[in-house]
Amino acid sequence: MRIRSLVPVVLAVAASCNKPAPKSGESAGGTAGSGGAIVVYTAASVAIPIRAALDTFAAREHVTVQQENGGSLDIARKLTELHEIPDVVVLADYHVFPNLLMPEQTTWYADFARNRMVLAFTDKSKFATEVDSTNWPKILQRPGVELGRANPDLDPNGYRTLLTLQLAEQYYEQPGLYGRLMKLSPAKNVRPKEADLVGVLQAGEFDYIWSYESLAEAAKLRYITLPSAIDLGTPGDTDMYAKASVKVAGKTRKDTLTIKGEPIVYALSIPKTAPHPQAAEQFVAFLLSPEGRALMHATRLDALGTPVIIGTGEPASVRAAASAQ
Amino acid sequence: MTHAGAGEDRTLPRSLAAHRTASIVAGLCGSIFLLFLVAPIARLVAGGGTSGVSALFTDAELRGALWLTAVTATLAMAAGALGGTPLAYLLARRSFRGKAVVAAVLDLPLLIPHPVAGIALLLILGRESAVGRVLLHAGIQVAGSPVGIVCAMVFVSAPLYISAAREAFARVDPRYESVARTLGDPAWRAFRRVTLPLSMRGLIAALVVMWARAVSEFGAIVILTYNPKVASVLTFDRFTGFGLTEALPVAAVLSILALIPLVALRALRPDHGAGMDV
Repeated sequence: MRIRSLVPVVLAVAASCNKPAPKSGESAGGTAGSGGAIVVYTAASVAIPIRAALDTFAAREHVTVQQENGGSLDIARKLTELHEIPDVVVLADYHVFPNLLMPEQTTWYADFARNRMVLAFTDKSKFATEVDSTNWPKILQRPGVELGRANPDLDPNGYRTLLTLQLAEQYYEQPGLYGRLMKLSPAKNVRPKEADLVGVLQAGEFDYIWSYESLAEAAKLRYITLPSAIDLGTPGDTDMYAKASVKVAGKTRKDTLTIKGEPIVYALSIPKTAPHPQAAEQFVAFLLSPEGRALMHATRLDALGTPVIIGTGEPASVRAAASAQ
Repeated sequence: MTHAGAGEDRTLPRSLAAHRTASIVAGLCGSIFLLFLVAPIARLVAGGGTSGVSALFTDAELRGALWLTAVTATLAMAAGALGGTPLAYLLARRSFRGKAVVAAVLDLPLLIPHPVAGIALLLILGRESAVGRVLLHAGIQVAGSPVGIVCAMVFVSAPLYISAAREAFARVDPRYESVARTLGDPAWRAFRRVTLPLSMRGLIAALVVMWARAVSEFGAIVILTYNPKVASVLTFDRFTGFGLTEALPVAAVLSILALIPLVALRALRPDHGAGMDV
């Protein structure tokens, strides 16, 4: 074939395609799911409890469900930048809703579960037989221990690790502990999000990783429960947590955002343009109902006794399920 | 094709018309396909090219990532050339028991999802493994270092080089080599003076493909070495942390800069190969 004959055709096709890109919210942005499946974007650290709830729901309602797991910010970017809209969004930090998704993508969110920071390890980890919830700061500082953590600029677990370490310095009254523990997990021991650390820990490259209790349970890792004053898991210790704060990257690379310590709260919502709003509503109502809460507890997720809805415009069935006892 | 003089006048226009139709259909198919391949990159460069190029002057992290990518991909390519060329030659020239199995095994890394490849490499080269312990003793830590980046790149891209280099060697008539041998050249000299120059164009094309594949790798690298960041990891980071406006320039400038060595290497066509139909 002659190349010359190709060129004009290419140019013609290219010219006809050269229309402005569709704007956010237009139908051309597309939906994440296909056919009748309801699509749930889930923070990786609660992937397994949400999967269990989805499976129960799917069997009962005879619907197909599709779960996509990722980092909370990753998920938010899929909606805001790529205009891929799922039916339900479940995030590891409720702040991501007001910071990135409201009011364009949704007008409300429901806090529904707690989690706590833990120090996870395996049988192969150095000093695995000695470590416990009181001596861990010393054990971690022994030579040769590799400690992994998530990127604080990209992942809630990453900045929560820094907050926990700051609180540990105050709690154990050991000035300089934060700096010493940070030196133990330099840039080379950082991975994008906490779920990425698990495989590296299991491969033996890390001895210990900072993680969530739900994730350590789901991945069947051994873990150390930290004092409640530093694990960001106890609402009663909110005042204590507020004494810690870290600076992370803001909305652009030039901004920084100060994050204060507070209890870890998971939240979910249904996007305004969810492709299957009815099924999404049904699922969220199920998850927030007493039955859904019990199911989450059974899969080792610390579901709130009474889910809390923030914002306006939530479906009536969701509000009713959340307040039912 | 008709040979009968009488029939020629009538059948020729018809075959000519068929030929034209075939040309147009093929041209259209080719054009659409070309567009499918080029349009996303064109969109990327149009969207982030200008800010990407200006970011080259202001964004030290971007410069560092591009430099690291260029160096590690080139090292990976060199490792592929050193280790892969003998393998490719062996597969092209010798027949031995289990050759088909060896060839298939060499394609395996292409089948493995990249994060899985990263974990597999970690299990073999990590500090808990026998190899990893030896390396660590020598002061080399694979995970979290540029060594890990090069390992990931070699693993995912070398099969492409070996497969293409094998084809390049296979296209050189073994008789040329035999002639050199009968004239007294030892095997290595015959390879260096005859086969290598004749297959050079094919080998360079194979290296280009390997280098390009190494530059684009993300999944295996991010498991082994997230920091220091190569350009693909930085693009992911910027997208997750700050969205498209920060990610597009990085992706665009990577595409623009990667084009330079690709064009240069493709243009490098030694005269020895000119006579060969490659």
